[in-house]
Amino acid sequence: MTATVAPFPSSAPQAGTPPEGTAPKAPPPPGLAVAAPLPDVIPARKRRGRVWTYVRRNPTIVVGGVLLLVVFLMAVLAPWLGTVDPTALAPAKRTRAPSAQYWFGTDMLGRDVYSRVVYGARVSLLVGFSVAFLASVAGLAVGLVSGMVRWLDGIVMRVVDGMMSIPPILLAVALMALTRGSVQNVIIAITIAEIPRVARLVRGVVLSLREQPYVEAAVTTGTRMPAIIWRHILPNTLAPMTVQATYICASAMITEAILSFIGAGVPPSTPSWGNIMAEGRALWQVKFYIILFPAIFLSMTVLAVNLVGDGLRDALDPRMAKDV
Amino acid sequence: MLGYIGRRILATIPVMAVVGLFVFSLLYFAPGDPAAIIAGDQATPDDVARIRATLGLDRPFLVRFWEWSWQILHGDLGTSIFTNLPVTTMIGQRVQPTVSLMLVTLVFAIVVAVPLGVVAAWKAGSLIDRLVMGLAVTGFSVPVFVVGYVLAYVFALELGWLPVQGYTPIEQGLWPWLSNLILPAVTLGLVYIALIARVTRATMLDVLQQDYVRTARAKGLAQGPVLFVHALKNAAVPIVTVIGIGIALLIGGAVVTETVFAIPGLGRLTVDAILRRDYPVIQGVVLLFSFVYVLVNLAIDLFYTVLDPRIRY
Amino acid sequence: MDRRTFLKGSAALGLAAPQLARPALAQGGKVLRFVPQANLANFDPIWGTQYVVRNAGTLVWDMLYGVDAQLKPQRQMVESEEVSGDKLTWTFRLRPGLKWHDGEPVLAKDVVASLTRWMARDPIGLMIRGIQDDLAATDDKTFRWRLKKPFPKLLYALGKTNAPMALMMPERIAKTDPFTQINEYVGSGPMKFVRNEWVPGARAVFETFTDYKPRDEPNSWLAGGKRMLVDRVEWVIMPDAATASAALQNGEVDWWENPISDLVPLLRKNSNLNVDIADPLGNVGSFRMNHLHPPFDNPKIRQAVMTAMSQEDYMRSIVGDDDSLWKKLPGFFTPGTPLYSEAGGGNVGKGDIKLGQKLLKEAGYKGEPVVCVVAQDQGITKAQGDITADLLKQMGFNVDFVATDWGTTGTRRASKAPPSQGGWNMFHTWHAGADCINPAGYPAVRASGEKAWFGWPDIPPVEAAIAEWFDAADPAAEKAAIDKVNAAAVEGVVYVPTGFFLGYQAWRKNVSGIVKGPIPFTWGVSKA
Repeated sequence: MTATVAPFPSSAPQAGTPPEGTAPKAPPPPGLAVAAPLPDVIPARKRRGRVWTYVRRNPTIVVGGVLLLVVFLMAVLAPWLGTVDPTALAPAKRTRAPSAQYWFGTDMLGRDVYSRVVYGARVSLLVGFSVAFLASVAGLAVGLVSGMVRWLDGIVMRVVDGMMSIPPILLAVALMALTRGSVQNVIIAITIAEIPRVARLVRGVVLSLREQPYVEAAVTTGTRMPAIIWRHILPNTLAPMTVQATYICASAMITEAILSFIGAGVPPSTPSWGNIMAEGRALWQVKFYIILFPAIFLSMTVLAVNLVGDGLRDALDPRMAKDV
Repeated sequence: MLGYIGRRILATIPVMAVVGLFVFSLLYFAPGDPAAIIAGDQATPDDVARIRATLGLDRPFLVRFWEWSWQILHGDLGTSIFTNLPVTTMIGQRVQPTVSLMLVTLVFAIVVAVPLGVVAAWKAGSLIDRLVMGLAVTGFSVPVFVVGYVLAYVFALELGWLPVQGYTPIEQGLWPWLSNLILPAVTLGLVYIALIARVTRATMLDVLQQDYVRTARAKGLAQGPVLFVHALKNAAVPIVTVIGIGIALLIGGAVVTETVFAIPGLGRLTVDAILRRDYPVIQGVVLLFSFVYVLVNLAIDLFYTVLDPRIRY
Repeated sequence: MDRRTFLKGSAALGLAAPQLARPALAQGGKVLRFVPQANLANFDPIWGTQYVVRNAGTLVWDMLYGVDAQLKPQRQMVESEEVSGDKLTWTFRLRPGLKWHDGEPVLAKDVVASLTRWMARDPIGLMIRGIQDDLAATDDKTFRWRLKKPFPKLLYALGKTNAPMALMMPERIAKTDPFTQINEYVGSGPMKFVRNEWVPGARAVFETFTDYKPRDEPNSWLAGGKRMLVDRVEWVIMPDAATASAALQNGEVDWWENPISDLVPLLRKNSNLNVDIADPLGNVGSFRMNHLHPPFDNPKIRQAVMTAMSQEDYMRSIVGDDDSLWKKLPGFFTPGTPLYSEAGGGNVGKGDIKLGQKLLKEAGYKGEPVVCVVAQDQGITKAQGDITADLLKQMGFNVDFVATDWGTTGTRRASKAPPSQGGWNMFHTWHAGADCINPAGYPAVRASGEKAWFGWPDIPPVEAAIAEWFDAADPAAEKAAIDKVNAAAVEGVVYVPTGFFLGYQAWRKNVSGIVKGPIPFTWGVSKA
């Protein structure tokens, strides 16, 4: 492991702003959090050992990836996994304990919790990945503009500062009050709340890149702005962004659950892990299984995404980990 | 230095203005009518309309925004539509519980997380390291309210060690105050522990490779002092940064924790106000949050200069 | 915000902080800790009519009359009344020794001002105001009310439990515009409101008013002597039902107004707790259709829905598995009360989807979207909304399910615009059974078209029958009129009753004297 990065002043913040890219919602590890202690000196030689070596080098990414794949398959294959209509009501058969017929029991309206949990994977994954993607794209745009166009920087950053100072969950609740509950609106609300953080990260990377000699050289030789962004800035932004996106994905799934808890989430006609738990929570002392199963699946999925994020961070570039 | 602080405080004005305008427009265009909630289910449409008129909710956007800004400039956050209490009073009632919850959470999280992170870094790659990091990842994978219910069940209902809910002001004694905060603080702290432990470990790994630490080790200084005095001091900047940035996260998590443990704090006040459309309260609380956020970040920046004399403003 | 403003603001915060310190005297007296059904977010029982405001109001403000457990009005602040032979002039005399919480005596002019403010906001009050000739104090203790037309239900109106109740306030407070909130909470009731300990959303505190003179008669609901047997009542607001349940089990609170029925078996198992029905008058569940716009402007389609819906499903979604908590309700009036009627209600809530589908087909439903607005932050509306969405889907409606909060539902239901332009087709609510005992305090059953309650049903036979009831001179005539109201309201589907349901209350065994009633009556409750 290299030990070339001085702790100061590289990690010291710019005046007036917290250090770029330290995401408050997701684990921002500004250091070399590589789990394996061995330096990358000896390349893998044996061909059949390659996969195993990859697994050994990146245990987190593999474990996370496999878990995520399972949940993903579950979401896609939901109709064929022994489920029934997750919205079908049967008030006469409400709050049944888990049994051979109702694997995870039934909820307060007699809906099958197993089916709701399996179908719920679709919503949670959709929310997680859509928010990660949309927030990244929008944040990238804002961050690039802010980082590259100097006169706009001040204005954009004031707006971003203002948005960041509102706790993201409260902002999402307020945005949900603006509209009706639906998966789409939950995604939009969480995305808006996440954009400022990505924008900050990107701007930070851009600012540090534009001081690099090769970028300065490109500018002085009259290379046009889009070209500079395309050739020099974007490739260097992509890595930290990818890692950041996984953390946003994880935190969006948790936020979805919290929005449901507050009563501003996905409507119950669309099962999501968040709203299954939120609906069953009053009964946790008597019917614990209603929140137990969605909680397990949610935690497992969030864990998987976080592990992938950690793995990506370690694998992509140890130096970059410094900035994320 | 003083000039710097002055400039920074001045720089908060545009931020607050942005927040104010944003929140105000958001609320103005949000559907939902406090008058309908006040009038109750039996009220006739005419009654609702008259209440709306007396509350001044039927006037145009610009007029309301202008009046509100004018009030704010005079230090008046307005009066709650529902309770008829000044917003400052309502916030004042709620500040102590929330601040207490945050402080206890912070102290708990730091006390647990920093040593964990240091040990993990010191024993990097070992079983302990993996265990700590595994716990850390799990920590923010479980929804806060699930943790809260489980803790309340075990420690309050089954064991009877701590109260289930509520808040006791600190004026009534340290233990009554603390006993009400332990479970919520642990609940809320788990996420935070995860965050801080990871950052601590990562930074410490870095610092432990530095020449001066190697020298200290080579000189035969005991591991404890090397870790906690030399290394940790130099790893403090990113850790403090994360703590500061996590304030917004903490307030967000506090909404849920305050609900589960029935703590009369600011998070709950905000959510109630949003659901009821108590506009003056929402505006006041959000302004307060952004001001605190700006202030905390300023404090942290100043703290850097204490931690590391090389940083100058 | 500049720095000076901030300093001012923080000074204000500083001033507010000492209020958190609760008086130490609390430890000396007996404190009853009560978990109300909802947050006490405002405290003007005339301006705001939520049940929780009314319930708190009965502690602080007294009434001229109060209904007893038989719903008969009995004298409370009034010592005697006299009515002229033509039934047009009423003269009332107040009890001696009545005092406001600030120590001033209760005068007739206070009562006149209070009645005037109340009449402006109460449905029956408005009717009285319509026939009022003059209302004036004749001396400090007597006032006279002259009407243009006899109004047999006058004393009932003054003593009823429906919000807004005719609560008495000092003249200076009662002079507040009825559409503006009062700012001072002084009454002459058995408890004083401790304003500086009020934390909206968290707690409200009441202290016994030592100068209160209870009547000598035994207490029954709002009638008779309201004797306070504790020194202090603390309302602890619990936003989370699971937390309230745990707090009650742990002895941190004494009395919980509305435990979820699914938690009741757990509470029953606890040997320290008592559980019983809260309000024998219960509640009537409701979903309302908008009579102004397709498809529900067609009475045949409304009837199809009313026939296809299963009240059992709705009731189970609200009260759970406990069959003793609900009843089918083939009508609009509260079961167990004198005017209860099943006239014409044969098909209500049968749960016959097939028949419903057939009726829908005959009625010629053209596939118009049905905008169903459902408040997700209220347990009862949310549960009913889920059932309705399922029902409409099964019947073949094209459902547009709008999940929102109660605040938005409140605005949206007031809109008469077409559903596609911000209006609505359907929303859910419920009415306290105490409000549904007759048409007087029950705007939801009225069918006067544009002037009616949300949904604006325009069904002349319903209105004609209600007019008959108001003029009815004896119980038999009243009953006959109500049978007509019920049959006509079913025929035209004023709204769809989803059933009659009861709720529980639970309390610690060291608390005694809790009665069943439409309001959690705190007088007569003691704590060992």
